[in-house]
Amino acid sequence: MDHYTVFLEDSIMQKDTLVTAGSKMLENFVSPFDATVVKRLSESQFSLAGRVIMDEFGIPSLIFEGNEPLGAVKAVADGTASHALCNDLFGKYRKQATENGCCYIHPTYGTVSRFGLIPLASSMDQIGVVCKNLHDGFALLSQIAGKDPRDGAMFPEESYNYAPTSKNIRIGIPKFVNIETIENFAKNFQTIDIELAHFEAYKQVMYILSCAEISNNISRYDGVKFGHRATSFRGLDDLYIKTRSEGFGADVKLTAIMGTMMLSQKQYAPYYEKAMKIRRLIKESLKFDTYDIIAMPCKISDDPYENLALYALPTLAGLPAVSFAHKGCGIQLIANTKCESALLSAWEVCMA
Amino acid sequence: MMRIEDYADMAKIALTEDEKKSFSAQVNILTESFDILKSIDTESVKALVTVLDIKNVFRDDVAAKTVPRETLLANAPEQYGGYFQVPKTL
Repeated sequence: MDHYTVFLEDSIMQKDTLVTAGSKMLENFVSPFDATVVKRLSESQFSLAGRVIMDEFGIPSLIFEGNEPLGAVKAVADGTASHALCNDLFGKYRKQATENGCCYIHPTYGTVSRFGLIPLASSMDQIGVVCKNLHDGFALLSQIAGKDPRDGAMFPEESYNYAPTSKNIRIGIPKFVNIETIENFAKNFQTIDIELAHFEAYKQVMYILSCAEISNNISRYDGVKFGHRATSFRGLDDLYIKTRSEGFGADVKLTAIMGTMMLSQKQYAPYYEKAMKIRRLIKESLKFDTYDIIAMPCKISDDPYENLALYALPTLAGLPAVSFAHKGCGIQLIANTKCESALLSAWEVCMA
Repeated sequence: MMRIEDYADMAKIALTEDEKKSFSAQVNILTESFDILKSIDTESVKALVTVLDIKNVFRDDVAAKTVPRETLLANAPEQYGGYFQVPKTL
């Protein structure tokens, strides 16, 4: 493609532009500055072409997914944009990309600046790329990745090289995966069966920690500094309550309530702290010395909460992941920290 | 026993009767699914707060120009004399 056009999810700041995060809470919010990714793209061969709607603050419904793809996926799928940037905390972009002829790149946590991304769950937020193919996707990623002093949680590298590595890639396939679902993919590689420790708790850990962090981050929407404010109220507390009750939609309210519960005195130790401990067990039990990449399907159920187990690992462990469709099956590949090149190589092998 | 409206209250959200019903059902399903956590031994495990090995980094405190006050206040629902305006608190 000679000319790249990039769309931004409506959670990424763009100076003098309405940035709503899909919420009534921010329906009139005009960004006073550019996000670092926007600044870096404006100095590259990529042109910013528009903005796309999103689930409110990026929080999907746990009950019902709907048939309509998210704006970022739709724009790339129909060719309106070559790329879209978004924050895929819960895996909905990863899944929908594979269902609509697109790919998704979730970069290593701490390699792409979040300065100017409306925060959702800070220990997991990571701007990723919806693209038509991974060559184009990594071409864009190489323009935006690299240390930014304005994001305090980043690796020190100034830039990253995403050139493909050896084609001799060892693929680990978790035991829960029904091999028939990804066998067309797997036959291209040397594969081994692996055990993902505590996989049975992935979705719960992911949900507990994300709700807790989100409820904390969205406490800033109080009707004082920016965003929606209720028109009639009695005193400050009533201002907060009316503003937030009017400004947030159902999924955001439920998340805020669950997060508040997880962080409350009684539930903190059995749920929140416990989940943080299991997060360590999950991360430290991975054995990237015996395999290069973990492969799994992008869907195991029609229930969005069940599928959360598939998307939790890159988010919880900060690992790079890609998703794409291969012979009609949505595949997600996960590599070790900063090993995006192995993902690109594996994709090239199956697309050859 | 805390009720859902008590947590909503802490989160500064008022729920309608319909929301109370629908959220209570979802919260029950979710918290039941959390039971699995009890079966995992985390006795000597340290909580993982961030996946990065972050250390405190010090820098000189140098004044720099940031976003001007009027630009920031432009998004405020109410402002007065260059400040955010809130209702009487006392």
